[in-house]
Amino acid sequence: MKVSFFETVRYRAPQALPSEWPVPSGIYDRDAGARAYEDMIQRLEYVEELGFDWVSVSEHHYSPRILTPSPIVSAAFIAARLKRIKIALLGPIVPQSNPVRVAEELAMLDNMAQGRLVAGLLRGTSNESLTYDLNPAEARERTDEGMELILKAWTEPQPFGWQGRHFKYRTISIWPRPLQQPHPPTFALGTSRESCEFAARHHLGCGVSYGSFESVGRATKYYREQCAQYGWQPTADHIVYRANMLLADTDEEAQDQFKKLPTQAPFSMRPAVREAMTAVDARNIAGEARPPITIGALPTAFVGGPDTVVEQVRRCKEVVGAGVLDLSLHPPGSRDVEPLMRSLELFGKKVLPRIREI
Amino acid sequence: MEAGQGVPLVHFHGAGGLRLTPAHELLSSRFRVVAFEMPGFGDSPENKRTQTMPELASTMGWAINKLGIDTFNLMGTSFGGKTALWLALQSPQNVHALVLEAPAAIRQPGAASPAGTPEEIARLLYAHPERLGSIPPPDPAVRAKTQPLVQRLRGPDRDADLEARLQELPTPTLVLFGTLDRVIAPAMGRVYKDLLPSCHLVFVYDAGHAIGTDRPEAFAEVVADFLERREAFVISRTETVIHP
Repeated sequence: MKVSFFETVRYRAPQALPSEWPVPSGIYDRDAGARAYEDMIQRLEYVEELGFDWVSVSEHHYSPRILTPSPIVSAAFIAARLKRIKIALLGPIVPQSNPVRVAEELAMLDNMAQGRLVAGLLRGTSNESLTYDLNPAEARERTDEGMELILKAWTEPQPFGWQGRHFKYRTISIWPRPLQQPHPPTFALGTSRESCEFAARHHLGCGVSYGSFESVGRATKYYREQCAQYGWQPTADHIVYRANMLLADTDEEAQDQFKKLPTQAPFSMRPAVREAMTAVDARNIAGEARPPITIGALPTAFVGGPDTVVEQVRRCKEVVGAGVLDLSLHPPGSRDVEPLMRSLELFGKKVLPRIREI
Repeated sequence: MEAGQGVPLVHFHGAGGLRLTPAHELLSSRFRVVAFEMPGFGDSPENKRTQTMPELASTMGWAINKLGIDTFNLMGTSFGGKTALWLALQSPQNVHALVLEAPAAIRQPGAASPAGTPEEIARLLYAHPERLGSIPPPDPAVRAKTQPLVQRLRGPDRDADLEARLQELPTPTLVLFGTLDRVIAPAMGRVYKDLLPSCHLVFVYDAGHAIGTDRPEAFAEVVADFLERREAFVISRTETVIHP
């Protein structure tokens, strides 16, 4: 099993924050923000020392929960400061980006990071449709077309035009091309039928997140079936699973903390907006409709002391088939850094060495 | 003045009186637009009776009711934005949603009503008056008649009583400022956002104080979308398909 640390940049707000998304930017504290990015580097140096394979960053906007609106900037910053760990950009929100620009930036980063880039491409969470005025009804097909264009821009050696449904270019010929050939390890992220099929058709990895082993397992099973349809068999390394882990010295302690976890997401859209969004933002797991997550806290898949968590990882491998775990290791919802550092140490010393062979 | 069909959209004009703009016409394709001339403005007799903005608001509420309109959307421009806010506070159950075009209810210290020659007034109201063609200059006699009323009703730059009440106003509200507003500082928009429980603030690029005249299509599109969907108007419905 490979492990990835999901870095969210811990912004420790000096005052109470409103619960609504978007969070007014006027209450941003510059000192807390600047410190959060510097602390991130210190933390990641430790993560690297513990032997994590990847550090991952993601794209989220308009709140301090995950302070990386431009994950490419975080990734470049991390790549410059750390020397060994792979940088997993999971990922740019494709439907609201210029796909050619994404292809260019990821190619640049792969060169600058000496081939340490891992790329994930995705549609984004429901609220992110509001950040750049993306029509949620079009998000899926813009994602599919954008992902295909990114792959084409990375691999087509001649200048070409793109006559798409949503994107149109007369001339594309990106420089630099990625260092890793034909392109960096790339994952289509999401549990949807469309995402799994896209990954299978293009021989990409599949990334799933946060659902129970059983629910994300349905998506990865569908992905493997689709790969077989396209005549190839993915390895465990082709499947990454992002999840929350609540690790403590003992099961009892972990369960105590688990009971105290908030049941609601820290920042959510206003009720009228959530309701309207749910009506237009269709989501599915391997073709089976599911509602978008707009208010509930993300579940925590791994809870326990080291022994229990090792067993859970074993079960995860059986059910989900993931060869890479992308972990949030703090008690989710907490902004404290100290418990996160304790869990990191515990994970690095008591769990990581025992799950390598799983 | 009235045009169009559908849900009523009542409009209160600014201190210069009722001036129909292309935005009225655009909005009338989706709403029954009822643009009032408030008592004391235009050709109506001088209004010496109304002493406060809440009084004017309740007079206007009465006039709306006289038209047989029970519930409605309410739009106020500049001075009329304050009238609209008071009417919404007096009858929140009758107002579906509120649109405030460059409202003058909260003003930067020392903000003055547009005054001077017709050219000077035009430069204050519009982002690019030279592009607009001929705008009839304000009638000096009408201005002389309405000025005492406006000065009496506009109230202080910061009206503590009104601002305290706004915090309890549940009506979904859209506040618009032109980025080139030279009468009311667009930065006042954030105060409404801060006070009102359900408020959206939109800056209209390259528009002056008279947004509906400077950029009528841009103004009418966001106003109509907000009135139809209220808070959910933040979810884009713009289609980006180039070719099927």
